Amino acid sequence: MRRVELSRLEGCRADLSDLTPERIEFIDSAPWAGEAPEAGEADRDFSIEAIRTFVFQQDVIPDYGAYARHLGLETRDCRLWKDIPAVPVSAFRSHDLSASPSEGETTTFETSGTTISRPGRVRLTDTSIYEASVSRNFVRHLLSDGARLHAVIFGPAKAEAPHSSLWFMADHLVRELCAGGTWVVQGGEPNWKRADEEFERAQAGGQPLLLFGTTLLFQAWFERCDREGIRFQLPRGSRAMDTGGSKGAAVDISRETVQDSFERVLGIPATHAVNEYGMAEMGSQFYGDSLLAAHEGRAPCPGFAIPPWVRTRVLDPETMRDVPEGKSGVLVHYDLANLEIPLAIQTEDVGSVAAGRLRLEGRLPEAERRGCSLPFERFVERERA
Amino acid sequence: MTQGLFDAFYLPPALARDAETTVQRFGPAHDAIELRLATVTPSNLARWIDALCAARAKHLAARPASEIHRVLERVAQRFLDPQSPVHRNATAWLARSGRFSTPMIARAIEDTFRPLAQGGVSRWVASELGSVAVLDHPEPDRSRIPRQAFGPEWMLQIYAGNVPGLPVWPFYSALAMKSAVLAKTASQEPVLAPLLARTIAEEDPDLGACFAVIWWKGGTDELDRAAIRRAPAVLAFGSDNATANIAREAHPDATLVLHGPKVSVGYISSASLTRSALGSLASRAAYDVALYDQQGCLSPHAFYVERGGEIGPAAFASALGAALEALRDELPRGEPSAERAASVQLYRAQAQFEEAIGNRGTQVLASREGTDWTLVYEDGAGFTPTPAYRTVRIHAVRGIEEVVLALQPVAHSIEAVGIEAKGREKADLAAEFAAIGVPRIAAVGSLQSPALSGTHGGVHRLAPFLRWSTVELGSMQPRSPKARRPKTRPASGSRSRKRKPTTKRRRGRR
Repeated sequence: MRRVELSRLEGCRADLSDLTPERIEFIDSAPWAGEAPEAGEADRDFSIEAIRTFVFQQDVIPDYGAYARHLGLETRDCRLWKDIPAVPVSAFRSHDLSASPSEGETTTFETSGTTISRPGRVRLTDTSIYEASVSRNFVRHLLSDGARLHAVIFGPAKAEAPHSSLWFMADHLVRELCAGGTWVVQGGEPNWKRADEEFERAQAGGQPLLLFGTTLLFQAWFERCDREGIRFQLPRGSRAMDTGGSKGAAVDISRETVQDSFERVLGIPATHAVNEYGMAEMGSQFYGDSLLAAHEGRAPCPGFAIPPWVRTRVLDPETMRDVPEGKSGVLVHYDLANLEIPLAIQTEDVGSVAAGRLRLEGRLPEAERRGCSLPFERFVERERA
Repeated sequence: MTQGLFDAFYLPPALARDAETTVQRFGPAHDAIELRLATVTPSNLARWIDALCAARAKHLAARPASEIHRVLERVAQRFLDPQSPVHRNATAWLARSGRFSTPMIARAIEDTFRPLAQGGVSRWVASELGSVAVLDHPEPDRSRIPRQAFGPEWMLQIYAGNVPGLPVWPFYSALAMKSAVLAKTASQEPVLAPLLARTIAEEDPDLGACFAVIWWKGGTDELDRAAIRRAPAVLAFGSDNATANIAREAHPDATLVLHGPKVSVGYISSASLTRSALGSLASRAAYDVALYDQQGCLSPHAFYVERGGEIGPAAFASALGAALEALRDELPRGEPSAERAASVQLYRAQAQFEEAIGNRGTQVLASREGTDWTLVYEDGAGFTPTPAYRTVRIHAVRGIEEVVLALQPVAHSIEAVGIEAKGREKADLAAEFAAIGVPRIAAVGSLQSPALSGTHGGVHRLAPFLRWSTVELGSMQPRSPKARRPKTRPASGSRSRKRKPTTKRRRGRR
């Protein structure tokens, strides 16, 4: 693999306003896996952008710079994106890791707090890179047929949840890519009737819908429909994106169960129920392949697609060295959509990467958390707000 | 010995004959063991509970307690004897189930069964109840009022799998007070409870008719309900959700002792931080941390170390690191799951982040390779549980006041404090921790060896479940030897007979 020419990076201590349009350009034009001229070249381009970002961030996010120096990783040591130090995701909770001045006007996303720790915070003065990443990724995995649909959001509107990256994302998608939206959660409570009405209307009018929400809320609605014997047959082309899995639920819900429910209650086939994995600390998300594969007339690839402006490293949880392709370990994400917050993030999620696709193996199963020992997780549970 | 199927349940022979079983794989895919499990349904549960109660009326209620205790003591001895097939079988299957290293399992068996052997059960009962005979007939108490103790007709016990050996004392407690037991094993540790049940049944088939050890998936509502709603007494270990569910489903008159999640801490006074004492102190502290891979509620997650001693808190941290390093070989860890190790790595990275920006003087000391042990040193008191697997926080403190302030809001999550101090200071420190409600205060190095006759979660192991009959008839003639023979209590068929206005709901955690 060719090394990044560091000379290209020197003197590139640009500011946010210079970097932002370039970064949007990069995200909008990065070739998806398979479309790239050569994997090595794509990796080199990624490294250049990543190291530029790191150079910028270690100056403007002082705590990130201090951490990198403490680990003995200076810019001059960075030859590849993998050389960039990753901040622990928990540091978003303990420290302000934003490049934006705290007094200025910013958009703030919070991760959920716990009894003893304040919520993690992500502050952005400019959300345009985030929006570019959301749009390009969402269009590819949910709207690859160019459809412009009415959206039914199983969640609150942005105004009701101003610090949630997920509902910010929904709001953006409705505004930019949909023909209007209906929000099911109002005043903190789900109003199932609103969803029913939209589904009846779509059924009668033959207009397909886009559903967007958390797996748990969809599951709660499915259970209510099963209880009351409610069924819909949404028009062909209707699709759903659910996120979060069964985290926080009393019982694990398998992917098959979620897909079955979409099919049984709404008539949305498994191909059109797309799972998403994301976190407030990342500007980019990961999507399942089912709908894109259906659109391209091929079998779906397992796992989540890693967008070309993101890389994920998998490290042996004992040695923290890279594991061979396909083996599982700790996930460390490098996200070029993170310009105002550190781009490299060490998670405690476990998974694997094979053929450019991410497989999640999740976090500690509930069974392991039981016992008379106080689970660490109870204190530091991290959920995407 | 550990080839083939393991029978991960026990039913009395009369019930086992018609029981359906299934086989499930357990443990890592590459090295799974096969467990045979009894198929549990609500109607099975009801039938089994009836049978256990009938057996208890026949074999247990009228039997002198001392006789039962001797059986239990003999069984404990068999588990302790390294030559006995029971000991070898338990060690081998616990090792095969994969959570803990063999030296750790040996330690667990020793620590669990030693206090029960050679008169241990009788001594335990006598220390809590005043005498053993009080379980057989009215016996004068200290105020010379005769009284008799009755254990519940049967107990539902729900185990956790975080510490090997956990089911043993609860199981013994029920039989020691002549109660039948329906025990539900933990999905993480399906081995020891059925082995114990089989061994007791082998030793004494009558006793073996009075208990069952089974497993069903926790959260299976219809089964949880079928067991919990009928139980006159429940002793359970579990998550907040699981214990809350039991409290919700239980009969209003049932006695509940529910052990939710907790951890322990240590406190080291400056007077005890001397050069000559450091080595021993560090090894004892390391032992408390290392035992059961810090999975139990008695495992310390933080040490509060006073400044101003001959040795400073940082030197204590270094010595503790060295002692944990020594235990890597002496008392090896079980292999943590990838998720557990990922939590430790994230915790380390966070501490290094704090170290980098000079927050609270944080310093990280860790094993060179792997996640074997991690120490995070910081200035000032605070409390957050660590992800365990030998991950500890060392807080350099000025004195007890700041520690009390830091622990007060989380005192309900603390099971024990290990104290290292000298002379009068010991009692003073103990009083401070007792005042904020810490249930157990012990010496550093003894955190993991609770007294059988002591408390768990602030309650005794027998007393909360007992109902007393006191005889307040003034001075009486001594009863004839014939009349002293234990009376058979009628097996109570309806719940209302067991209702006692004095029965209280108790919970092992506040």
